[in-house]
Amino acid sequence: MALFEPDRSQYPDKNPDGTCDIDLTSGKYLKVWQGPNHPGITGNMSVELTVCGDEVVEGITHVGYLHRGFEKLMERRSFIQCFPIVCRICVPEPDFNEYLYAATVEELAGIKVPERAEWIRTLILEMGRINSYLMYLGGQAGAFGLGIVGQWTTYVRDLMLDRFEELTGARIYHMFILPGGVRDGLPEGFKERLEETLQEVERTLKDVHEVMFQNAVFKKRTIGVGYIDPALFEPFGVTGPNARAGGVAKDVRKDQPYLVYDQLEFEPVTDTASDMFARSDVRRRDLLLSVDLVRQILRKMPDEGPIMTKLPNVLHWKIPRGETYLRGECSRGEYGYYLVTDGSGKPRRVNVRGPSYTHAMALLERLIVNVNISDVAGLMVSLHTYPPEIER
Amino acid sequence: MPHRPDGYHQMKDLTSLREVLELATKFEITARDFYTDLATKVSKNMRYLVEELATEEQEHVELFSAMLRRKDLAGTLDIKVERPASDRKFSDCVHAPDLGENPDDQTVLQYALKREQIAMEQYRTLAEETEPGPLHDLFQFLANEEAEHKNELEVLYYEIVHSGGV
Amino acid sequence: MAINDVLSPFRGWKHLFNDPVSIKDPINREAADRYRGFHQNEIQDCIGCGTCEDICQNGAIDMLPVEGVETVEGDSGLRPRIDYGRCCWCALCVDVCTTGSLTMSNLYKWADSDGDAFLFTPGVDAKEWDGEVRGYRRPEGYSLTPHERVEMREVEPEVRIENFEEIAAGYSIEEAIIEADRCVECGLCVATCPTHMAVPDYIAAIRDGDYDEGLRILYDTNPFSQVCGRVCTHKCEDVCATGHTGDPIAIRWLKRHITDQVPNERYAEIVGKPGPATGKSVAIIGAGPAGLTAAFDLAKAGHKVVVFESRKHPGGMLRYGIPEYRLPYDVLDHEIGVIAGLGVDIRCDTRIGTDISMDDLKADYDAVLLTIGLHLGRSTRIPGTEAKGVFKAVDLLREITNGDPVRVPKQAVVIGGGNVAMDIARSLARLQKQKYGKVDMTVTALETLDHFLADADEIRECGEEGINILDARGPQEVMVSRGRVTGLRTWAVTSIFDDIGRFAPHYNEDDECVHPADMVIEAIGQMADVSLLGEDLTEELEWNRGRMLIDKAGRTSLPWLWAGGDAVAGPDVVHAVADGHRMAESITEAFATVEGE
Repeated sequence: MALFEPDRSQYPDKNPDGTCDIDLTSGKYLKVWQGPNHPGITGNMSVELTVCGDEVVEGITHVGYLHRGFEKLMERRSFIQCFPIVCRICVPEPDFNEYLYAATVEELAGIKVPERAEWIRTLILEMGRINSYLMYLGGQAGAFGLGIVGQWTTYVRDLMLDRFEELTGARIYHMFILPGGVRDGLPEGFKERLEETLQEVERTLKDVHEVMFQNAVFKKRTIGVGYIDPALFEPFGVTGPNARAGGVAKDVRKDQPYLVYDQLEFEPVTDTASDMFARSDVRRRDLLLSVDLVRQILRKMPDEGPIMTKLPNVLHWKIPRGETYLRGECSRGEYGYYLVTDGSGKPRRVNVRGPSYTHAMALLERLIVNVNISDVAGLMVSLHTYPPEIER
Repeated sequence: MPHRPDGYHQMKDLTSLREVLELATKFEITARDFYTDLATKVSKNMRYLVEELATEEQEHVELFSAMLRRKDLAGTLDIKVERPASDRKFSDCVHAPDLGENPDDQTVLQYALKREQIAMEQYRTLAEETEPGPLHDLFQFLANEEAEHKNELEVLYYEIVHSGGV
Repeated sequence: MAINDVLSPFRGWKHLFNDPVSIKDPINREAADRYRGFHQNEIQDCIGCGTCEDICQNGAIDMLPVEGVETVEGDSGLRPRIDYGRCCWCALCVDVCTTGSLTMSNLYKWADSDGDAFLFTPGVDAKEWDGEVRGYRRPEGYSLTPHERVEMREVEPEVRIENFEEIAAGYSIEEAIIEADRCVECGLCVATCPTHMAVPDYIAAIRDGDYDEGLRILYDTNPFSQVCGRVCTHKCEDVCATGHTGDPIAIRWLKRHITDQVPNERYAEIVGKPGPATGKSVAIIGAGPAGLTAAFDLAKAGHKVVVFESRKHPGGMLRYGIPEYRLPYDVLDHEIGVIAGLGVDIRCDTRIGTDISMDDLKADYDAVLLTIGLHLGRSTRIPGTEAKGVFKAVDLLREITNGDPVRVPKQAVVIGGGNVAMDIARSLARLQKQKYGKVDMTVTALETLDHFLADADEIRECGEEGINILDARGPQEVMVSRGRVTGLRTWAVTSIFDDIGRFAPHYNEDDECVHPADMVIEAIGQMADVSLLGEDLTEELEWNRGRMLIDKAGRTSLPWLWAGGDAVAGPDVVHAVADGHRMAESITEAFATVEGE
């Protein structure tokens, strides 16, 4: 809710393609660059805002600051050599890349992964989801100056990273899920330590709920703000909590279960308001759902069994011609990997479709119009975008 | 081929170290000359073997001669030792094989081995029959020399003959 | 907006007096047990195979020579140097390390003002984490390369003892591809092979299904690939990198597989034609692998080659020593036929020394090559060996090959523990089965079983065929009664090596045994029949401990005479092939030098 209504008759008309013809020399408008270095931006991406008064009339996103050329790099590396680099495509939640890359390779190579490896993979993905949501909560509150939430969630995220360290051998870039299975089983006493960490997460979430979600300032800034019309979901490819907050119960884990999700009990978390507050709340509840899923996995997973299937010699592993597209539900929405093989030892084409590809560019440009400049940061964060996965 | 004189019988009546060493040296010289002569008769591809045997015997000649010249043994070499006459016969029933017209490397080595064996046993028997003292020690020493030589020849024998394992 | 929404945030103040959660000393925080930290390398175990260099996705590893590390058989002498500016700590290098020497500690802090310090060779450049036991090691049950060899299918013992049919079936295409997939292409085998066959290349040809290319690669270094693919002593497999933590690659069987896949008629096309005639001629004495390999090379170089063979058929020990069930005669005939197809004139039933003299050869040819092998058997000459019923293995094997009537013993004892002993034992066992319906064969050897010079597979197959193997027994006498052999008397061997490791057996006379037999076969060693040289030539030549003195290229002390193969270097097929190549090259060079003068 804006504090006063601006005179929108001054605004330029929108062209059919969504752009505006803005006469900058008229003095009515101001161009403001938000990013690529800006506290309100989640990663290196910039939005070129044209502001009239303090309301945005046009926003043009600019990406490419994080282009590292992964897809081309992978065309020059053998299948096993691609495995260590895919996790770097999405920095805050790397495991999804490892899993989807491994899954597409396994499908085209005709390999089946042992059951215990599937459970460990699911465990890692859910732990990664918890970490991702914790970072989001910190960012969302921080966009409104509520800095304490970020301090708390970063701390408890660090505890989760400790768990990752003892399970996979690294904190951020785990390089643990590879075509054929996973690298190792759970270390001694891991389940107990993880349970302790989960309890710490729940305690912190309770505090966050009190401080952030039952907070008049936060509610005033987010309820009714940043509304996404559910009619936009299909044409703009909106998935994940962004869609679920608008009442659309889309969750790949439920719709097309992969790994062991068909053996876990859960319902997708939804809301109806489709505004910033709803999206935040959906993510908070999804985080608690993930905690519950991790507990289910620890209870149900087999303690013994192979963790890796027999691979051919990875030094000259050739995969027959084929193409496949696999998707999964990451914390931000639907994540997809498209792999094309041509019978040689290297992938012919890998295309990574992160949810931020649509959320951060097309959807943002659509939503940003008529948003108060002070809400831009909060809006961007509420879409939960990670720029690294936009441009790989 | 001259039959080798029975060393035992020649030596058992000697009573001084000098006499024993001089006779031992004579035996080595006889062997060395025998091998040196044989070397000219065998074909070139196995001549190395016979020449090596001659060289070994020459080394013994030089060793024993050096001992004879040693100043510190000078006094002890002429000590007469009382030895009771013994009528135990040492039956020398082991024959060295006849080398024949055209001995091959295996025959030559078998001959050399047998010669060392006989010499070693003879010195050993002489040592057993002698009271502890310088003479006894000398016989032991000579027996050991022959034994060492025999061991080296055994290794060479197996190297050449048992070259199988294809 | 409820009042709760105004007051609730203040609940956060309950943490006001908490202790801070930040770690007091983050610098010295110890990482988890599995943490992938800085590299360690056990330099003694590392063989410098370079598989870590191959798999590194960012080119962070370079195999470089290290002072103090020698290049020896089975160790390239190179060690990995890692560039920490490129390393991403994925530990794939640790995963594929063929010996398991490369590992990671869990240390992760390293500050240095010299940027070049971060190019380091673990295990050589001493670091504080060298002894750290915590860190990343290849986990149990996790492997990126297959460790198990594809078994070679063999005919069952009960079936194969009845005949001389080939025992090993040879790999099918599927089996060969699976086995060929295991190769990590390190190349240690190439250096170890006496004739330096391009092993990783022809294994890759199998993976690609390009058998023509595979055969071309084989013939580049070894015109006896069909033979070696069956009977080579495979020193390559002994140093194979994958053999350290798994089974070595079945390089010999893969070589055979290539030769099996190319139809016989295509060989000539792939092998090529002889070069344009040079006008030079070479006489080769002995149509064995050394002589015929030299013939192959010399014919391709364009020289006229005549091979003189004293026996009825060419092949030397390949035909007359190795039994048919290991190396079928038609395979050998085909292999020799390819060489003859280059225009090499092989004249059998021609004995040098009697039919033609060495002087004739010296006069009629520009160079003479002596590759007469080791065709005389040695004897222990223990008492009783003069009796009828005592044979030398090489003589019997020759007779069996010729198809001559061989006296088949009811009970027999073989003296010897090498491949020749196995060959004669198994051949006679087959004849026994055919004639008497049962096998009664004993093999005795001085060595203990783990020191037998025979191939481990030979010993196993021998035992499977019902032959009794008694190790550590030394023959003392052949028992003869009324002119007939009745048995072999042996003593136990208490030790076989002296204190510096030389072969010098010692016996225990109290442990005596008589093995009943009506035939005793000696397979203790072999020697060359150099009588063909004649007295004058023997005097003229220089000798080296019983064998002709040759230089590195196989040339004797006489400029027109070369010698090589078993006769000069000891028994081994692939060494003979390598000798053949060296001598042919030397001869061609000698011809060129004369031209130039």
